[in-house]
Amino acid sequence: MLPVYASSPQEKMHRHAFSNGHSAFPSLAGPGTFHIQPHKFQPRAQSARRRRRQLLIRLGLAVAGAFIFSLFIFPSLRAIFVPIFSLGIFSSTGLSAADSQIETVRYYDLNHVQGSARGWEREERILLCAPLRDAAPHLPMFFSHLRNLTYPHGLIDLGFLVGDSKDNTLELLTQLSEDLQADQDPNMHFGEVSIMEKDFGQKVNQDVESRHGFAAQAGRRKSMAQARNWLLSAALRPTHSWVYWRDVDVETAPFTILEDLMRHNKDIIVPNVWRPLPDWLGGEQPYDLNSWQESETALALAETLDEDAVIVEGYAEYATWRPHLAYLRDPYGDPDMEMEIDGVGGVSILAKARVFRAGVHFPAFSFEKHAETEGFGKMAKRMKFSVVGLPHYTIWHLYEPSVDDIRHMEEMEQERKAKEEEERRRQEMLARIRDQFDNPAQQWDEDKSRIRDMAKKGRNKEGGNSGGGGGPVEM
Amino acid sequence: MPSPRALRRTNPITIALAALLTVGFLFFIFSSASDPAPPPPPTTKERLGSKDAASNPLSPPSLPFRKTSVLKQDGTQAPPPVVHYQMTNLTASADPVGNRETVLILTPMTRFYQGYWDNLLKLSYPHELISLGFITPKTREGNAATAALQEQINKVQSGSKGKRFASVTILRQDTEIPLQSQDEAERHKMENQKMRRAAMSKARNSLLFTTLGPTTSWVLWLDADIVETPASLIQDLAAHDKPVIVPNCFQRYYNDEKKAMDVRPYDFNSWIDSQTAQILAAKMDNDDILLEGYRELPTYRTLMAYMADSNQDLHAEVQLDGVGGTALLVKADVHRDGAMFPPFSFYHLIETEGFAKMASRLGWKSWGLPNYFVYHFNE
Repeated sequence: MLPVYASSPQEKMHRHAFSNGHSAFPSLAGPGTFHIQPHKFQPRAQSARRRRRQLLIRLGLAVAGAFIFSLFIFPSLRAIFVPIFSLGIFSSTGLSAADSQIETVRYYDLNHVQGSARGWEREERILLCAPLRDAAPHLPMFFSHLRNLTYPHGLIDLGFLVGDSKDNTLELLTQLSEDLQADQDPNMHFGEVSIMEKDFGQKVNQDVESRHGFAAQAGRRKSMAQARNWLLSAALRPTHSWVYWRDVDVETAPFTILEDLMRHNKDIIVPNVWRPLPDWLGGEQPYDLNSWQESETALALAETLDEDAVIVEGYAEYATWRPHLAYLRDPYGDPDMEMEIDGVGGVSILAKARVFRAGVHFPAFSFEKHAETEGFGKMAKRMKFSVVGLPHYTIWHLYEPSVDDIRHMEEMEQERKAKEEEERRRQEMLARIRDQFDNPAQQWDEDKSRIRDMAKKGRNKEGGNSGGGGGPVEM
Repeated sequence: MPSPRALRRTNPITIALAALLTVGFLFFIFSSASDPAPPPPPTTKERLGSKDAASNPLSPPSLPFRKTSVLKQDGTQAPPPVVHYQMTNLTASADPVGNRETVLILTPMTRFYQGYWDNLLKLSYPHELISLGFITPKTREGNAATAALQEQINKVQSGSKGKRFASVTILRQDTEIPLQSQDEAERHKMENQKMRRAAMSKARNSLLFTTLGPTTSWVLWLDADIVETPASLIQDLAAHDKPVIVPNCFQRYYNDEKKAMDVRPYDFNSWIDSQTAQILAAKMDNDDILLEGYRELPTYRTLMAYMADSNQDLHAEVQLDGVGGTALLVKADVHRDGAMFPPFSFYHLIETEGFAKMASRLGWKSWGLPNYFVYHFNE
């Protein structure tokens, strides 16, 4: 293959001279002067150029190949080079591969989560809240209630706050929730389960007596309110339409309770809460006395109390004469009957999330002389939300015997024991009497029969004699 | 230069480039198919700290989340996880950067001000520790504000990593009383004040209680019309380690008398209570509120706005009974305990002033920095 320029070597000379890196011999003397052109007949220059270029290309290819190979071997390198390679097409957002999976911006329209009467049809999410302290014994029962709920589980997010627990509440709760989310049946799975761990360092005991003693009430209610507020503020999301508060120690409740309460389409609604009792206590009893209608007496009483005082229901110290939801129950009444109330009990509250979004919470201070759930009702009323109770729709709280009850039961037990003891003693006495004194009855019976026999024989003898004289049969 | 035809035809550079591109394309095809960011193993137990990305969109809005949904081994969608939040160890201390404490900046917004956004981006607090929350009304003005806001957010959240915020939440909500105009004169008419501030309280509460996450340490309330603050605002306020702390809100304006730019007090809601105000309040109806800065109702409260003295110590503190909300740093625990912005007359106070009162009922005191300034937009 002859180079094309061979046909016109004259014109090409200088260029090739330059291109191989040597400068042409300077023509200082001007035209006509003799000078040497060292590369005049050396086409070698071309092949050298090609060879060098080829070498460069090979080197370049080798480097590129090695680089791509290294990319395949070390995936971590990719992230660094991806934006360079993709020439801004893939990296138009500037996100590396891992980053593009992270979403940081969220947009919510709160008008879509106002809550309606038929939330399960509109896929409205419910936040189910339960504050827990030393609640391990009740958890298995609580989770069985959760499994039984008929509201679509995927629309229910669970929020728990575990604080100041001395038993294994946290471990058990974790275990049970994980079991729940790992259930074979996908219909059992709930939405997000959040477990907040927060120790407030409360000193109030959670046992029945200290829980219900009058003196401890105000302080206890305030710390309960604090726990509720912490739980709510950490768990409430812009996606929630409803919030349901439920105590873990509810023993019996309808599976459809969420739908039943929701159907009324009220801002805040509570059922009636009773508890079963042993027969000797009357069989059943109103439990939650915190759902009530305000009375003139109570308002007047509130006026007389100082700023930090908290009125608590069900204690002789504060006679409020309020109509309580609990006492209005008729077992055969219409379960859908509604009653306007001012204070609410916290065993089972269904509220629209917008109530909480508007700022209503469980006052951990004395709000209009009330705290916690009663203060919650008061505050909701203040903000013109509807607060309603269902007197004839009843759920049943677990019966935990109070100290009085336990004492009473102990007394009854002792009484029973005393009775048994007495019975036993009587039996013993009888046995001893039997042992010590011979029972003559048998002897008498024997004697009697013997005498009777003797008497019979005697009579027979007599008869035999006379008969023998009168009947000479042997002839 | 006419290069040789033969050479052109066999130019190895072309081949090399083609090969390179082929490999490149293959690389992208395979990398995108086989290498999405490695999905986390499907576990049901998680423990989320303040900087982690949550695994599903049900997570608290103060955290970012992963878009890919977690699949189980059999390919079905895994149920949302059981997430633990350790709130006992959550701190809100004088050294928030050192302790890696997260700040939630909340802004109720009716209008978008570029000055506000630029100032927000200038904050020197590490952006990866900041979550933003906005609430805008569903009005024409609100829609415009939202659109402008979203545009800016997209720019920042897809920009350089150091500038990006941990998460951004935009909420939309109907205001109960649609105000036709946000003009200053209209806005400040006294009759309108109670209604306006009640609606504002509800917007603030909605924003607060839905975005406050279990990992948030501080909440900074920053109004949409605050256009100038020191870049170290969060660090400076937090350094005082107070449950509620408020800087002095001023406004720059053109002083016609001096023929020069000047500053004047703007926010009068930060004050120390007075005997007069107490007596006034005692005589009021239960639902009436006592407002500051109106001639009809002289309260003789000590206003922080007039305590400013730029020659004095920048970090002088003063205890307050009412606070303004234009810029307000609150420890998240105060809100968690229940301190919110009452949309009703609470001790004859409403919104941010009522908030200070409620916080004090819960045992949290409010403080002000009279010589530390932030500046309000001038219309």
